[in-house]
Amino acid sequence: MQPDDQDAPQLSRRTVLASATLVPVAALTAAAQAPSTALSTTERQILDAFVDRLVPADELGPGALACGAANYIDLALADALAGEKATLAEGLAAVDAFARTQHGMPFPQLTPDQKDAVLTEIDEGRATGFTNPRAFFARVRRLTLEGMFSDPYYGGNKNFAGWDLIRYPGPRLAVAPEEQKMSALPKPLHQSAYGSKFNHGH
Amino acid sequence: MAISLKPVDVAVIGLGAAGGIAVLPLAQAGLKIAGIEAGGWMDARTFRPDEIHNNVRGLVTSVPKTKSEVPTVRDSPSAVARRVGNHPMMNAIGGTSIHYWAQSWRLKPWDFRTRSETVKRYGAGAIPAGSTLEDWPLTYDELERYYDQVEYEIGVSGKAGNIQGRIDPAGNIFEGPRQREYPMPPLRATEFTDRMAQAAHELGWHPFRPPAAINTQPYQGRPGCAYHGFCGTGGCHIGAKNSTAITTIPAALKTKNLTIFDRAQVTRIAAGDDGRVTGVNYLREGKEYFQPARVVLLASYTYENSRLLLLSKSKAWPNGLSNNHGQVGKHYFAHWGTQGGGAVVALFPFDINVFYGLPAQGTAVDDFGDDSFDHTGLGFIGGTTLHVHTELHPIEAAAMNTFGRAPGWGARWKAFVRQNAARWTAAYLQTSTFPYETTFLDLDPQVRDPLADPVCRVTTSPRENERRSVEYAQNKMEQWFRAAGAIEVIKAPPTGPALSTHAYGGTRMGDNPETNVADRWGFSHEAPNLGILGASVMGTSGARNPTLTVQALAWRTAEHLVKSWKTIAG
Ligand SMILES: Cc1cc2nc3c(=O)[nH]c(=O)nc-3n(C[C@H](O)[C@H](O)[C@H](O)COP(=O)(O)OP(=O)(O)OC[C@H]3O[C@@H](n4cnc5c(N)ncnc54)[C@H](O)[C@@H]3O)c2cc1C
Repeated sequence: MQPDDQDAPQLSRRTVLASATLVPVAALTAAAQAPSTALSTTERQILDAFVDRLVPADELGPGALACGAANYIDLALADALAGEKATLAEGLAAVDAFARTQHGMPFPQLTPDQKDAVLTEIDEGRATGFTNPRAFFARVRRLTLEGMFSDPYYGGNKNFAGWDLIRYPGPRLAVAPEEQKMSALPKPLHQSAYGSKFNHGH
Repeated sequence: MAISLKPVDVAVIGLGAAGGIAVLPLAQAGLKIAGIEAGGWMDARTFRPDEIHNNVRGLVTSVPKTKSEVPTVRDSPSAVARRVGNHPMMNAIGGTSIHYWAQSWRLKPWDFRTRSETVKRYGAGAIPAGSTLEDWPLTYDELERYYDQVEYEIGVSGKAGNIQGRIDPAGNIFEGPRQREYPMPPLRATEFTDRMAQAAHELGWHPFRPPAAINTQPYQGRPGCAYHGFCGTGGCHIGAKNSTAITTIPAALKTKNLTIFDRAQVTRIAAGDDGRVTGVNYLREGKEYFQPARVVLLASYTYENSRLLLLSKSKAWPNGLSNNHGQVGKHYFAHWGTQGGGAVVALFPFDINVFYGLPAQGTAVDDFGDDSFDHTGLGFIGGTTLHVHTELHPIEAAAMNTFGRAPGWGARWKAFVRQNAARWTAAYLQTSTFPYETTFLDLDPQVRDPLADPVCRVTTSPRENERRSVEYAQNKMEQWFRAAGAIEVIKAPPTGPALSTHAYGGTRMGDNPETNVADRWGFSHEAPNLGILGASVMGTSGARNPTLTVQALAWRTAEHLVKSWKTIAG
């Protein structure tokens, strides 16, 4: 999935929630498939446009789209969050339908201002065609944050741009007292927890 | 038919924080023990600094048992109970001590005698209406030597505030007297926790670095803490944090008196017609086994302790094991404070950088804990410890409250989190919580686990005492944050937790068999060769974490069993 995960231990990214019996996590992982995505091309385009407005690219750096947040969500919906796929897909279709009633065009083709107007209606619960517009918006927002700020292992936070944005200095295995100072955030370490530096062990 | 195994002296159900302690004194005394644990051994190499794995998806576990039997919750006896999300307890050898925060406070003397001390100081009218509060059947002084034993056994770092009555303001001056200093100095301070401590001093309070079952220097062959920022709901990659899987369980295994049956789920505790327990039934890799034992110790955490008893019906126990007085599941409660809805979140106008560290690294104030202050006219009893700590993961950091200063998305939000993700924190508040008639555990009539057994059902109710108590503490916390320079403070309305990692009761310990399942030693009043370990025996919570007390009690119950072997084992 990410270039530096080839030495990752076979940790499960699948949901263990759905598992009905006492299956060791290791056994679940052995069966894990190569990463695949869940959304159709149209659904993915709507999601791309959505996350692009949630966190737009600007002088502070790449936005959620370039960070791979939509990729993270799409991968998760095929894997750990498979149970949510139907609800998410239904919501994305509702975004598009609502955009067409408001502006006569598919959501991805709207201008940035029009997209923001549509998203505001959803966020504030006024948009029609949704089971629960607020809850849908909140969930996509939450997943976008996960995609932007999680370990790149999961398909988002490309080039560590999410961590750089919030000045998170990256995971380390040991942290010195100076690295906990208030005034001087440590220099960012651009590494995944699944990179070779993290193959600690006993 | 279950496969019958060779009889043992003691079968321990669950090798977590509690069961994992009890096996050591038993094994050292030469008793043959079967440790039957639903989870397996965990490999420290799988403990990664990964927020998605550890915190967002809660995947640090060896098997997903707890997740497949999450209790249901309702807020009144007439409501239908529903499942509420996930529950982070662990299934593994070591149990939840694998990925807990390891804050290791002792209770205070007042917590053991809350009813009588309250009546003495404020009158009988001060006891919260509807509560079933009783004094414990033992005092702090009786438990002190077990606290001490466990602190040295598992390695607790901290600074004593009261050694045999000598008060040291570098420690917690409100704690009960202890016989000696902690085996290790406390976790290090940071510039931010020092700033908070300074602010507390200026307010006239008594801050200290709280105790943790985490090495701060090499201890018993394990290294000191690396402060790497993924301790909460994460296993320790270097073994600096105690879990019973790397302390007492290996020590018990060395005696060759403990045999562990891992990935083995106990489904019933068996009893004879005379009511004595005879062993346990468990499932392992699809096969059913019966492990005969002369004594059974139940240590499967609060929700499962009550559930297993209620499920274990027999001729002698038509209402569930040890439940002829209808007390199993009663006197349940869960810690109010931040575990409920009582968050206090602060924004500073400068970086505080709490990304690294660990939740046990911080500065705490016990001035408003328990009965350390006069409650006259306040309308509640009990109190709260305030704890400000480090460790903030990136998703959580970015998901911060915007304090009304920015919208929730778009370019302005982006600029806001860039500036402020390193400038906010949330305090950890723990409030004394009491048992009430209307709050209890039983079996859910509808929802079942994968084995088709009913899950545990939690019935809770609103409490005026705890609500006022949390609000009082939130105001103190706001004062503290502001004294340290916070420019915004948000206080969430206090509510009780639904499910809790600090869940108490259900098999309460007390001298009166009409109102308590366990006796003063932790053995069943009704089934004399059944012992119960865990916070399920505790009748008050205090304003501090449960586990050290759970472990001290577990050691004491095991020691009592050794001393009274003939009487108990029959
Ligand atoms: C994220 C987190 C942070 C925490 N932080 C702190 C803290 O800082 N300080 C503190 O004091 N406490 C803390 N706690 C609470 C602490 O973990 C518990 O108090 C403690 O683990 C309880 O001990 P226990 O032995 O009763 O349960 P556990 O440690 O959960 O052990 C129970 C064991 O029983 C096994 N089991 C359950 N059912 C069965 C069955 N049917 N058959 C066989 N085995 C079974 C389980 O697999 C498990 O291993 C925290 C908890 C969590 C989740």
